[in-house]
Amino acid sequence: MDFDVAPFTLRDTAETVTSWLFLIGTLGVLSLLISLLLSVARNGAAGIGIFSRGLLSFLEDVGSLSPRRILALTNLTLKEAIRRKALLVFAVFSVLLMFAGWFLTNSNERAELQVGIHVAFILQTISWLMLPVVFFLSCWALPEDIRIRSLHTVVTKPARRIEIVLGRMFGMSLVMLLLLVSMGLIGYVWIMRQLPTEATSQLTCRVPVFGRLLFVNRAGQPEEKGINVGDVWDFRSHIEGDTRARGVFMFDDIDESTLVLGTEFASDGSGTMQVPGLKFECQFEAFRTVKGSESSIIEGVQAQYTLSNNPREDAFSLFSRSETLRPLAEALRDAQFRTAANRLEELSAKIAADGEAVKINKSPELQPADYIILQLGTLYAAGVMGEREDAALEATIAAFQKATEIGVDLINMASASPDVDGKAEKLSGLHKALAQSLTELAAVLTQEADTLHEHLPKLEVILPSFHVAEFHEGGQQNIKFVPRTVRFSADAETQSRFLAGLFEKLNNANQLVEGDGLSSQLAAQLQSEGKISEQNSSLVVEVLTEQLASGALKVEGGKLAVADGQRWYQFFDSLIQKNLLISGDDEGWMMERDLINDLTTKGRLRVEVACLNNQMYLGMARPDLFIRKPDRAFMIGYTKAMASTALMMMLIIVLGVTVSCIVKGPVALFFTLTFFIVGQFFHGFMHEILIAPPDGGMGAIASAVMTAQHRAPGIGMDVSEATQRVVQGIDAVPRAMLWGFSQIVPDFRAFNAASGFVENGFDVPFAETLIPAFLICLGFLIPCVLIAGALLKFRELESK
Amino acid sequence: MSNDAVIEIRNLSKIYRDFWGRKKVQAVKSLSMDVKRGEVFGLLGPNGSGKTTTMKMLLGLLFPTSGEMTILGKPASDVSKNEKIGYLPEESYLYRFLNADETLDFYGRLFKMSSAERNRRADELIEMVGLGKARHRQLKEYSKGMTRRIGLAQALINNPDLVLLDEPTSGLDPIGTREMKDLILRLKSEGKTVVMCSHQLADVQDVCDRIAVLFQGELKVLGRVEDLLEVRNETQIRSSSLSDAAISDIREVLKKHNISDAVISRPRADLEELFLRTVRESGERPGRRFTTEEIAGKSGKSGGQA
Ligand SMILES: Nc1ncnc2c1ncn2[C@@H]1O[C@H](COP(=O)(O)OP(=O)(O)OP(=O)(O)O)[C@@H](O)[C@H]1O
Ligand SMILES: [Mg+2]
Repeated sequence: MDFDVAPFTLRDTAETVTSWLFLIGTLGVLSLLISLLLSVARNGAAGIGIFSRGLLSFLEDVGSLSPRRILALTNLTLKEAIRRKALLVFAVFSVLLMFAGWFLTNSNERAELQVGIHVAFILQTISWLMLPVVFFLSCWALPEDIRIRSLHTVVTKPARRIEIVLGRMFGMSLVMLLLLVSMGLIGYVWIMRQLPTEATSQLTCRVPVFGRLLFVNRAGQPEEKGINVGDVWDFRSHIEGDTRARGVFMFDDIDESTLVLGTEFASDGSGTMQVPGLKFECQFEAFRTVKGSESSIIEGVQAQYTLSNNPREDAFSLFSRSETLRPLAEALRDAQFRTAANRLEELSAKIAADGEAVKINKSPELQPADYIILQLGTLYAAGVMGEREDAALEATIAAFQKATEIGVDLINMASASPDVDGKAEKLSGLHKALAQSLTELAAVLTQEADTLHEHLPKLEVILPSFHVAEFHEGGQQNIKFVPRTVRFSADAETQSRFLAGLFEKLNNANQLVEGDGLSSQLAAQLQSEGKISEQNSSLVVEVLTEQLASGALKVEGGKLAVADGQRWYQFFDSLIQKNLLISGDDEGWMMERDLINDLTTKGRLRVEVACLNNQMYLGMARPDLFIRKPDRAFMIGYTKAMASTALMMMLIIVLGVTVSCIVKGPVALFFTLTFFIVGQFFHGFMHEILIAPPDGGMGAIASAVMTAQHRAPGIGMDVSEATQRVVQGIDAVPRAMLWGFSQIVPDFRAFNAASGFVENGFDVPFAETLIPAFLICLGFLIPCVLIAGALLKFRELESK
Repeated sequence: MSNDAVIEIRNLSKIYRDFWGRKKVQAVKSLSMDVKRGEVFGLLGPNGSGKTTTMKMLLGLLFPTSGEMTILGKPASDVSKNEKIGYLPEESYLYRFLNADETLDFYGRLFKMSSAERNRRADELIEMVGLGKARHRQLKEYSKGMTRRIGLAQALINNPDLVLLDEPTSGLDPIGTREMKDLILRLKSEGKTVVMCSHQLADVQDVCDRIAVLFQGELKVLGRVEDLLEVRNETQIRSSSLSDAAISDIREVLKKHNISDAVISRPRADLEELFLRTVRESGERPGRRFTTEEIAGKSGKSGGQA
């Protein structure tokens, strides 16, 4: 089973807090009402007075809490636990550790698995040992105090009952912390000593940056999911090998802080050195459709990362969501802006035709969805281009924005009620306006084609391929280090753009020309300035000399220029298209780029994963590829896991003490255990029942009626509407109760996540584990203390 | 509190109910009485007559079914009254894992007492109850009498104005009993009010100013011990070492007055007798409250020495 890092998340914080407040409020009002009723029932009219006096005195108690007394009671609890030998748990723990050592150590296992087993063993053992202690401590202490009446001597001192509750809770928490910290320390030392030395290096907390996962299908079109290869568990989605299918991971917030130091071979062959870079770690799954030989199975599958920064993809891919607009999307993505302009012209014509059709109530050619995608696509394109803060793009952005605005008006009008005055007329007008704006956009694209091509550059860094073992349980960790200054073999677009940039720079510095010809130093300069290999630089010089001779280039005022006024990149592009610049170096056109500055836009990094083998598939899920930030010390994650356990124990203490204020030990234990078990294992289940659509899930009575009437669930009951409403009303009651119950029972799952992270070698993210756990704990602490204080105050301290 | 009543009880009733709210026992039946400042008040009654129940209601441990009471001028449910109250429960229910010092320190912390004050007071009390040698031993090792003693010490930790003692002498040896009685008298001399339940009638007789006798939750007798035990139809002459001549002289005088049944000895009437009689008669005539005069008269008739 793979560790799914998608962690426990609190629903929207604001929503959670409001629903908490709502619940507390309802609970408060309800309990006040019930106690008022009880008081009146017992004492008649005088009950109101008794009730209000009781309430007042309770509020007074809450207001006059004394830390001194609470501390005295805390202290007492601590002493009691120690003198009553709660610490004997240590003995059990030590014995367990002694024996576990014999069974757990298996040097045949992979290091990271060994680490996982040892860490999991310690974390689990500690929490399983703590649980009975905490349950008994919290459920037994107060009832026992009442039973042997030692509480009598305390409550006849000025100690408020709510202080007793608090003192007990704090004291027990302290005992629990004491136990936890000691066991944690012992456990830590044990892990360190027990693990074989080669495995201790694996004891770290990886800090992953996870991305979003999208897919590109074999035809190169974006998809939500990949292929299902028939796994029962559809956690992973697959991409087909040797096609255009890709898994696309979009990472956010990649910046300097994401960089780690890694080992890299020096380019001059002088050995290795430590350089900053990005560390990618993956856990893909290989899947084959043909029988493999033994060696091919061991070899596994070849996978390849492509880091890409493609503003055109970002800006225009939304259009491809519509079949009609897909050609437009593709042209824009491929920087074929003139083709894109043609597509827009066609689109504009269709929209104009639709405008006519609308007027005479004929059905339009384009679907409503097309209009919506067109509108969103133009909005998005303008937004993404705007983000680049590039003045050269402004005209295009404005044209996209205009189309967007008209698009909005059109959609609004189309969805307006039919009895708006002259709706058809207006709609038709808007169609025309939209068509017009698209024509204008097309004109802008044609005019700005070169600028756009230059200012929306695609950069693709194809990294060397690597193996993914077929049975990845047995495979090695797949870690790829990519140095920040990444060297890669450039594709045509990158190459022409790079050469253009280099030549412009040298030209401005008057370093290209010597007399009528090229500078004799040019080859050497290209090599040093552009870090182009020797073969490649001499190739460039050779080709350009020919071009100069043929008149395609000319020398003018000490500068080199393209004869027909073309831009440099277009010139180089055409050379590459003509296969004149095929590298003589077997590494290709190697060049360097900066991962952070060149490959991310606003911290976004796009990593495409391809599978290279034919008839093989690569399975992946969101957590399968992540970028590793600098690791944290194992101790940090371990401590966080302990903290999360501590919070869970604290919650149990709070619940246990609260329940034990009103019932005896065994009963309190039963209730608290029920809470724990339901909260631990059935919370998800309850939630599922509750969010089931109301017509899908039938209430008990409705289904009883229908069973009696021999009716299929889809048809409904054969009863009058009034009866039906009554039945549904009654059925809503258990639903509401279940809702209330599911809100009252704390979600104990929140506390489990942390140890999962640590066991799997990850750091524990605060936001997704500790903070929700803490909030849940606090959310229960406050009302529980109040409830417990009230229960204890308004009960008689008689045990019989 | 303009008058000097430290405890006022009016029509107090207590019905014990079970979990379902069904009546089990009526432990106290419309009890009304006052305890005055500075007196030693004894609550008497056979086992199960409601003494402990009354005391617990005064302390807010139990809630009355009906009726009213104030204690130190405050309602029984008010915790702040506890600042000036000391309570020794029927059995000493203390924390058995603490030693004497820790016990007193813990209870001291529940009051507004500085640590120096707590220590001083603890030393004083441990000295007073004679646990000097055992102060560092855990309470679970204590004998019954020692437990009583430390219980008393914790009741007095806050130097209370009102002390409620539930059977203070039970479990104590004769010396301990003597000391307890001395202590009660000392508290009285310090101007404190003491309310106690006891079965040791001799003790009650020795220290109490006033007593109330409960029977099956009803107040049967309430009054000053002296008045209740006074034998009205007898005259007692007490003197130290009368000579034989003096005694025969007295006999002469008595003969002259036609008194022939005079016995020259101590009268036998004591609290034990009163107690037994009250209980007996209450059994015969339930629901009846006896006046001091009746009680006194009766003691003359049945207990007079002829
Ligand atoms: N918690 C209880 N539940 C039910 N009945 C009780 C409870 N406590 C006391 N009683 C009953 O109330 C009555 C009065 O009890 P209480 O303890 O007040 O008597 P007491 O006068 O203190 O007796 P003793 O001299 O034995 O201490 C008894 O009948 C007793 O059985
Ligand atoms: Mg009693």
